[in-house]
This record gives sequence, structure tokens and C-alpha cells, in this order.
Amino acid sequence: MSESTLDLHALPPEIFLEHVHSFEFWLGSVQGYLAGRPYGHHENLAEPAFDDAERERLVTALCHYCLGETMALEGAGGLIRIAPNRPCKIFLATQTVDEGRHLEVLVHRLSELGVADPQREIEERASPALRRFRERLLAFVATGDWEAALFAQNVILEAAEFAVFHRHARSADPITRELLLGIIKDERRHIGFGENELGRRLSHRPELRQPLFAVRRELDPLVLDSFAQTLARLGTPASERAELGRDYLAAVGRLGIA
Amino acid sequence: MSQGPQERRRYELDDRGFDEVPPKYRKYYRRLEGSADTLAPNELLCPVCKVVIRSARELREGDRVYCMACLTRLRVAAGTAGYEGVVEYT
Repeated sequence: MSESTLDLHALPPEIFLEHVHSFEFWLGSVQGYLAGRPYGHHENLAEPAFDDAERERLVTALCHYCLGETMALEGAGGLIRIAPNRPCKIFLATQTVDEGRHLEVLVHRLSELGVADPQREIEERASPALRRFRERLLAFVATGDWEAALFAQNVILEAAEFAVFHRHARSADPITRELLLGIIKDERRHIGFGENELGRRLSHRPELRQPLFAVRRELDPLVLDSFAQTLARLGTPASERAELGRDYLAAVGRLGIA
Repeated sequence: MSQGPQERRRYELDDRGFDEVPPKYRKYYRRLEGSADTLAPNELLCPVCKVVIRSARELREGDRVYCMACLTRLRVAAGTAGYEGVVEYT
């Protein structure tokens, strides 16, 4: 279909879905906001003059984000094997690339902030709750539990990251802000993929909701509490922290897992 | 913009700088510009990712639109404050 005659919203659903799960679509999407931003931000942005406490808070937050992106990278890569069809496998390949980039730019940001050994800092500062979430997510992947793993990763984890990065970006220094806003643009695809794929499966097999309730009860406090603490350390007002789970709760409500 | 009798209003979509989809689809989307932003009759807010979806024609209840930013198909439904997008898992 030529561009001049294209009516996007008139496309048949199967054509739309095939296209938005493709590498071709991914390439055309990310070029718009990644080109000219090595390591996630324009090179001409000036590093602000942090005092020691501000720098410490930012380093701790970035270490938490790095752990989140590490588990998303491992999770997305592992999910490719158990994904039920080709479009899902291809989409997860693009998500794996996104997560690898996120981890790389966040680690690079730690280096820019003077952290000599980012990996050691991540391991020392990462919250026990996030470590526990990682163990459970990877266990779902290892046992081939597609619905639980997808729910944990692309609904719970991605929605929490989407919300935290949004709120942090509002008050962040210009470099961190641009980096986070670039990640958020990728996260839109990830949360949408998770909700839509699960929604399609639940519409055909509503009995799958019950085990997902249990996954939710166990795992969502681990992520939401960890990221709420991160925002508190960054000085985010309590009223904004209370909004953290709002979009996530809306998503599980639409899926009938509320 | 043009409008004929019994016809829906039609809109010439322009690129509003939405850079999260391939160039040929960018005119179909824009960012929400704060709480004071109001939607035009050809626009719908995606409930999943909060991007504004734009159509070349005035939207009516029952229409289907796509949010490419989050891979979602939506049905236009009447809400308490205008049209709302209902996710269709198809």
C-alpha cells in the first residue's frame, strides 16, 4: 500500500499485528529517537554539578534500574524459546535488543558519574526484593510457563519501570532525563505487547487467570515497593509515588486479574 | 479539513513530531501535552500507553483504531468525558 493511499486504521487486524511484531517495524521506530544519541543522549548536554548526596541517590537509583534491565534482558531472551508463535518470537528478539541497550546506556551513565566498577556497585546496591523478583521470573522462564513469565516481565516489571522512569525523568538532570525518555519509548511497545498477548490468550482460556492472580499477589509488591523506595530516595513527593501503580492496576484490571 | 452533508468531518493529518513509529505513520500520533490538552473529534487517548491517536476522519462510537506505539487495537466507546478507547484483544 502506498503512503498516499494508506489509512492505517483501516488495516485488517492480522496485517497490523504481523507488521508491528516485525523487525522491520522496530527498525523504523527506533531510528527516530536513537539516531544521534550515543549511549542514549546528545553529546552536547552538560553534566550538572551534583553534590555528594545527590550523586549517591542517583547512583543508587541507576543501580536498581540496571538490575531491572538485567532481568528484563535475561527474561526477554529466555522467553523467545517458549513463545508460542513466530511473531511473538520475533517481537521478543527486538525487545531483547532494547533491553540490552537499556542496560548498556544505564551502565555507561554510571561511568559518566564516576563509578569505577559499575557491576560491583549494581550488585552491592541492588535491593533484595528485586533480586527475589529476578529469581522468580527466571524460574517461570526455565519451566516454560509462558503466561506467568510474560505477566511477570511485560506487565508487572515493564509497567513499574514505565511509571518510575516517567516520574524520575520529570526531576532528573538533562542527561539522565534524555536517557530515561528514550527508554520509555521502547517500554511502550513492551507493555503493549505483554498486555495484548496475554489478553488474547485469556479471552480464549479464561481459566488461566487464576494462576496469574497468585503470580500477581507474590510478585507485584516486590517490584512496586522497590521502585517506590527508589523514588522516595530521589525526593519524589509522596503524592506522585502513590501514582506509581496506577497504570499497572489499570492494565491488570483490563486483563481481569485485578 | 472538509465536511459534506451526512458525512464525517475529514482531517488532513500533519506530522506532530511523534518519533516512536516509522516516518510514514507518524502523522497518526502525537504526544499528550499536559492536563490542559484537549482532544479533537478525530483523536483518542490510548489507555495503555497514553499516546494520542489521530484519524483522518471524525471518530464515532464503534470505530476501531490502532495504537502503533504499544501495538494495541482499540474500539471507540462513549465515556463519561467524551470518547474512550477500549482495548480489543484480537
